Amino acid sequence: MKLKKNRAARRRSSVHRSKLLPGDAVATGTQGLRSRKGRTLLTAIGIAIGIASMVAVLGISSSSKADLIAEIDQLGTNLLQVQAGLDTSGTASKLPKEAPAMVRRIAPVEEASSVSALKAGVQRNQYTDDSNGLDVLATEPQLLSTLEATMASGRFLDAGTAGLPTVVLGAVAAERLGISSPAGAPTVQIAGRTFSVIGILNPTPLSPDIDRAVLIGNEAAGKYLGAEVIPTAIFIRANPTVVEEVRQVLSRTVSPAAPNEVSVSRPSDALEARAQVDQNLQNLLLGLGAVALLVGGVGIANVMIISVLERRGEIGLRRALGATRSHIAVQFILESAGLATLGGVIGTALGAAVTVVYARQQDWLIDIPAQGLAAGIVAALVLGALAGLYPATRAARLDPADAVRPG
Amino acid sequence: MRRANRRSSADGEGRAFSTPPRPGLSNTVMELRGVSKHYPGTPPVRALDEVTMSVAEGELVGIVGASGSGKSTLLNIIGTLDRPTSGQVLIEQTPVAELSDAGLAGLRSSRIGFVFQQFHLLEAATAVDNVATGLVYQGVRKGLRRSLAKEALEKVGLGHRLQHKPPKMSGGERQRVAIARAIVGDPAIVLADEPTGNLDSQTSAGIIDLLRRLNQDGSTIIIITHDPGLAASLPRRVTLTDGRVSDDNVSAPVVDEPASDKSPAWIRGTS
Ligand SMILES: Nc1ncnc2c1ncn2[C@@H]1O[C@H](COP(=O)(O)OP(=O)(O)O)[C@@H](O)[C@H]1O
Ligand SMILES: [Mg+2]
Repeated sequence: MKLKKNRAARRRSSVHRSKLLPGDAVATGTQGLRSRKGRTLLTAIGIAIGIASMVAVLGISSSSKADLIAEIDQLGTNLLQVQAGLDTSGTASKLPKEAPAMVRRIAPVEEASSVSALKAGVQRNQYTDDSNGLDVLATEPQLLSTLEATMASGRFLDAGTAGLPTVVLGAVAAERLGISSPAGAPTVQIAGRTFSVIGILNPTPLSPDIDRAVLIGNEAAGKYLGAEVIPTAIFIRANPTVVEEVRQVLSRTVSPAAPNEVSVSRPSDALEARAQVDQNLQNLLLGLGAVALLVGGVGIANVMIISVLERRGEIGLRRALGATRSHIAVQFILESAGLATLGGVIGTALGAAVTVVYARQQDWLIDIPAQGLAAGIVAALVLGALAGLYPATRAARLDPADAVRPG
Repeated sequence: MRRANRRSSADGEGRAFSTPPRPGLSNTVMELRGVSKHYPGTPPVRALDEVTMSVAEGELVGIVGASGSGKSTLLNIIGTLDRPTSGQVLIEQTPVAELSDAGLAGLRSSRIGFVFQQFHLLEAATAVDNVATGLVYQGVRKGLRRSLAKEALEKVGLGHRLQHKPPKMSGGERQRVAIARAIVGDPAIVLADEPTGNLDSQTSAGIIDLLRRLNQDGSTIIIITHDPGLAASLPRRVTLTDGRVSDDNVSAPVVDEPASDKSPAWIRGTS
């Protein structure tokens, strides 16, 4: 009934206006895709590959980073390490004997432990050789808590065992010596003396030197090896809010006379640098994905141009049915955008699936940024609309009288 | 009949085919005044040359002439798909030269229905959806569009083929779908460019019968044909020769003339 009234009104005013409802615009724009399913899918694949590779790169790197960051967070970013550097003549210097005590006097230093490298080799027994790249380090019992290290088996040095001929093995050292547990009272030979193994450490990623070390107590070093214990490195746990400040004053505190001969480092920086390296690779891969996407976009533009040529008759018919130039342009832009969005959706799903599979394989946390997924689909939509601009303009400019003519 | 009744009751100014024109009020649906169409080139083509004619509401007009005589050009200009090089085109007393491209599209969306030789159907859409497309650019909602499309399909005798798609239909059925699409919006005028050009003579006769019946129900229709037999069956025949109207002949239709007759009376303008 409403229609009749409208018609009557239009007839009286003799002003007629074409009108395409938004829902119909979308239906019209996707009708061409629905009726050419094979071509639609093949064309969408180009975009899908581009989007999939970008989503996968983002997802994989973000998963690996999430894993690394979780690891770094767990290890703590407040561990600092002071190391004897080289003096002006280029020979290795030692830290002052009182350095650990001075470091502990810095207020925000929560804990500090020193290690002293001894000039001694270690061997499983007297028949094996000691060229195994392992260091013998004298240290103090609180090293375990300073490093926040954990025991794989056995126990760490304590006040009692630090004065006895006992050793604790780093993870790598234990492996190289062929000792997997302190059970059965295994022993090692250091400078011809027998030491019993009382514990094995788990790997300590922030201090790989400890992994390769055989640790004995400072007291035992003096008592059984006759060594003078002079610190070669100090591990420091600082208040996490002022790590940088502590770092600034460390070298002067440790060696007021020659602060340049002391090197101060933050072991977690090395791990973060690894994440940085990933960033470069990620940018490269993203660039490749973008190229794939661009190629996909050009592919869509191409297919759309062909589609416009093939569908001259349909365009002419629609103009005859009352479509304006803009209606035709909108139809083809929506078609192109729809095509690309389909590719975007397929690509995003594919990229996410690749990420999940890869992260599972690597035993990583799975972290696919939701904005990344949305961005993938939106990027495809925008790209498709842009790719459709030129074909749509051509379609809209077709002369309707020419378009309805046969041939 | 239903459509005609609805129109007259809807706006009070429509009238059934048999009603005589009211004095002082023109019932001209379409008028051409000195319309020419030239295509540049060497030599330039004068597709239409000073054509003057008009069609009143309720008429059924055949346009005949040899191939290349300007029939399609004429129909495209009447249908506002094309603009003349010179001269005036009036649709329901409105000079279309004043309308913008979008204005012409609007006029076509509600006032003009087209039927083409090559059908121009959407191959992937059902008959109902194809016919409903005729209302899309009027902004008619989908539900109403479909029910009007069904009504139109019943009118052309395809009430039983609503959900069929064009590839599953015969040529005659396809053209009926196209005719339903042309009339679904209740246009002021239906323009058919060689609607039987792709059909065998028996199917053609069926299509012409359908158009004649729609005309009796109130539709104003112009049919281009180069089939003299079909043309002879129409009440008015306008003959084009080299872009000029060489004959405009109103007569009692000769319905029984065979379609294959090769000596048409209208060529000599004496029938
Ligand atoms: N776009 C065009 N450009 C140049 N010449 C054209 C164009 N369209 C039609 N013509 C010419 O105009 C003349 C009339 O064509 P047309 O109206 O299609 O004739 P008909 O439909 O009677 O066969 C022909 O000579 C044709 O070649
Ligand atoms: Mg023609």
